[in-house]
Amino acid sequence: MMQSSVRTPHTRAGRRRSRALASIAVCSAALLALAGCSAPGGTSNQNSAIKDPITAPVTAEQVKALGNITLNVWADQGEQELMKSIVPAYEKEFPNVKVQIQFKSFNDLTATVLNAMNSDTAPDVTQGNQGWATDGALVKAGLIRPLDDVVQAYGYAAAAGAAASQLKWSSDGKTFGSGSFYGMSPDNQMVGMFYNKTKLASLGLSVPTTLDELKTALAKAKAAGEIPITLGNSDKGSAMQAFSVVQGGMTPAADTVGWVTGKSGSDFNTATNKQALDLWASWAQDGTISPGYDGTSPDDAVAAFAKGSGVFYLGGNWQAGTISDGSTFGFAPAPAGAGNTAASNGSFGMPWHISSKSKNTLAAIAFIGLINGPDSGHYLADVNRVPVQLNGVQVADPMFTDLINASKVQLANNGALYYYDWSTPTMFDLFTSDLQEVMAGKLSSSDMLSAVQKNWTDFQAKS
Amino acid sequence: MTASIPPVGAQRVRGRRLRTRYDWSAYLYLIPALGFYLVFLVRPVVESLWISLFDWDGITPASWVGTDNLVSVLTDPAIWNALGHSLVFIVFYAIIPIALALFVVAILARVKVRGLVFFRAALFVPYILSSVVVAIAWRWIYALDGPLNAVLRAIGLGSFARAWLGDFNTALPAVGFIGTWVMFGLAFVLFISGLQNIPLELFEAARIDGAGMFREFFSVTLPSLRGEMRVALVLMITAALRNFDIVWNTTAGGPGSSTTVPSYFIYQEAFTIHQVGRASAIAVLMTIFILCVIGLVMWLIRDRSDSVRVRGTR
Repeated sequence: MMQSSVRTPHTRAGRRRSRALASIAVCSAALLALAGCSAPGGTSNQNSAIKDPITAPVTAEQVKALGNITLNVWADQGEQELMKSIVPAYEKEFPNVKVQIQFKSFNDLTATVLNAMNSDTAPDVTQGNQGWATDGALVKAGLIRPLDDVVQAYGYAAAAGAAASQLKWSSDGKTFGSGSFYGMSPDNQMVGMFYNKTKLASLGLSVPTTLDELKTALAKAKAAGEIPITLGNSDKGSAMQAFSVVQGGMTPAADTVGWVTGKSGSDFNTATNKQALDLWASWAQDGTISPGYDGTSPDDAVAAFAKGSGVFYLGGNWQAGTISDGSTFGFAPAPAGAGNTAASNGSFGMPWHISSKSKNTLAAIAFIGLINGPDSGHYLADVNRVPVQLNGVQVADPMFTDLINASKVQLANNGALYYYDWSTPTMFDLFTSDLQEVMAGKLSSSDMLSAVQKNWTDFQAKS
Repeated sequence: MTASIPPVGAQRVRGRRLRTRYDWSAYLYLIPALGFYLVFLVRPVVESLWISLFDWDGITPASWVGTDNLVSVLTDPAIWNALGHSLVFIVFYAIIPIALALFVVAILARVKVRGLVFFRAALFVPYILSSVVVAIAWRWIYALDGPLNAVLRAIGLGSFARAWLGDFNTALPAVGFIGTWVMFGLAFVLFISGLQNIPLELFEAARIDGAGMFREFFSVTLPSLRGEMRVALVLMITAALRNFDIVWNTTAGGPGSSTTVPSYFIYQEAFTIHQVGRASAIAVLMTIFILCVIGLVMWLIRDRSDSVRVRGTR
């Protein structure tokens, strides 16, 4: 039946088909016209005038003039604990404002924040993420307000020091690391070494402060049948951060930071980076790093370490929530290498931004001012996060004391290296995938380094 | 074949009468569904096609690049690599579950099984579970200290124990096998219901003619299940080619790039890198590719009943 109707187009079925085809053609043309006539994307809304500039911290009277309002906030779910104390304090000081927070997982937040901030119902305040993919895109699209006046009024610039460069952009979003402040972040997050005190003591070792001491400690731990380094890398990013402990000990931090922030002429494909990569890969292959790391989630690895598996865990100080027992565990900054360099990945926490579309800019400034202001340190310390502003912070817990001291040492030495993947929007994927392959012996370190540098050069040439 | 079709002239007369009575009011009933289809399916597809012609970050004004995005996707070895993984997934998502289900159905055609309804329901559960739940459950099963390795160690095969999702050699088949587990239930339920629609006389006739188990399977069961096989293949191949959720929640494309799939790059480009034009280009090319593969499959297992009948009457 169907076959015959195809062959004889004069039947009704055949005509109906050609009519259907015609109507599909008409509809598609109409849809193309509907969807298509203009290029996607609205007009650029570069706000040259800064809304409600301030010269001193926002007062309750100024906010009161806004009437009864709701302040809409987007935040990472890791902020939940901190917000439990910040929000009541804020609503007490500014009683006409009700704070409404939406918490998102890190991946959800970074994947959707750009579209949310571009929508007509953009939140007044949001967290972003340093680097081109999120903060750079927000600045480029003119969606967040420059904060130079806020940073001055709340005494933040002095406390942040040189590390402030991670919050700075040119107003067209094309230069990272200099220009205006676009975000503020209250805490210092860094990668370092968690160590098991009990195991170090039974191996007769002290906490390594140089790369050579670390190598000796790892070899001794391995000989004694311990797992020297516990690692979980199913997220692909954890090995990259752990590797920075080695890389930061071999390559001067200023070179790496320059490369990450796109300083022209920077090169990652260097002899010291190759040495670092080869050393790191040899640890993956000779069993210094726990087996099955690519199939283990970082959360599982941290939990295993906290239960006594492994001598070292190289990771972020934010894992102190799980590795919290200060009587068994300690935290130390990255060990120093031959050139007396000592650095590792790290940055401030996810920066807070104010929407350039906000109708309640003063209330928004008051909110991030409370989080980042000179007297905010105790709120962070209460939830075991290392504050940038240390005024009046009291510390009793031994693990938290380690975190504060490590942060001081890191910032006094060479500072943080930031993160390699900030360098280009596609770097996370490339760096982490290639690092997995180098660790598995499937890719040479020099091939990885030239691929990484090529990605960087291509991106710099484009922007 | 010709005997079943009325003369063309007669059909035309009847058709004309029918049309004057029903045609336009009948189209009215289609409008809600058609409108929904146009707005939520056709329009996004057309828009994706349009966006793929631009360099666009999703926010700021786009600039026209013509077919640059499509060319850059087609010349990107990472995408071809990912497509290769998708083809492997077709084996795990479609071919293995269908072969397994056919095997079981072939046995069931000859053996009476008690509690078939229960098995049918239990085997179908994986298919209706949320894929994130499935992925997390299997991540646990495959973990270094998970149940799979525990079983291997218990039976003296401890040397094979590994982090299945973290090993360059096993990650792809390990992810693929999750698809086999999910899809087997669907194929099984489809084929069982198809089996119950085959007239018993056919089996009886075959047995009277002296057909053994294999002959009966290839002459009666398999041809009768052609319709179900087509449905199963279309659903499963589509699932294999657009696989994202299972991969994202088990390996995120790793280790290295050993389990990347095209949809993974669509997500990356659209939401992480903000290259919406290029993401659309990958999506457009994947859509065309899936349509081609499905078209090929439909053509390969098209209904040949006409020709069979002709041969039979000769």
